[in-house]
Amino acid sequence: MDEIKITTTLDTSGKCCPMPMVETNKAIKNLAVGDVLEIIATDVGTRKDIPSWCERMGQTLLSTTERDKVLRYYVRKER
Amino acid sequence: MKSLSIVVRDDAYDKILTPLAFAYLTASEGTQVDMLFVNWAVKALTAEGAANLHIDGRHADDEAKVRAGVAKAGLPTEIYDVIKALKSTGKVNFYACSLAAAIFGVDETNLIPEAAGIVGAAWFLNDKAAKAEHYQYF
Repeated sequence: MDEIKITTTLDTSGKCCPMPMVETNKAIKNLAVGDVLEIIATDVGTRKDIPSWCERMGQTLLSTTERDKVLRYYVRKER
Repeated sequence: MKSLSIVVRDDAYDKILTPLAFAYLTASEGTQVDMLFVNWAVKALTAEGAANLHIDGRHADDEAKVRAGVAKAGLPTEIYDVIKALKSTGKVNFYACSLAAAIFGVDETNLIPEAAGIVGAAWFLNDKAAKAEHYQYF
């Protein structure tokens, strides 16, 4: 993960659908193109929600990790 | 998805959460959402009615647990507060069905300001539902 420079972290731990996606949409709007958003989530629904959201919104999912039921997504803003 | 129309019929606290959550989710992505509240659900578009929504039937005893779960999920526990949050996206319109309004006691004096108005179902079905990219009924 050292090569990914995180611009902002959004921690949605404990929250469930729709809030992780609602907050992700808000967070990405405040970033500049090229910035990287780290999303921390515990809602297992995000395993599919975040990758499909990235594809739909034209953002790049750089990496995903999961440890001790905590998911981390690294999304680069493209547009 | 560019547009979504939702008709909400059921006014039980737990059952009204899903269409509101779907609206919140899609509106946050920029989807235009139009919601028509029919039958008992029209009461949710009044402050008093929204405050008095409860879980019905065999799940009624679980209301406190459900509300705790809603809070944990990050949503407001009061339906009116959820409606306000959706309205703040600028992407959700709430309409009261005129027939339901007449039957269940909703008029322009008690309609919440977040609602776009009391409308005929023909207008909603033709000008909103039929033209929306996706349509749902709850």
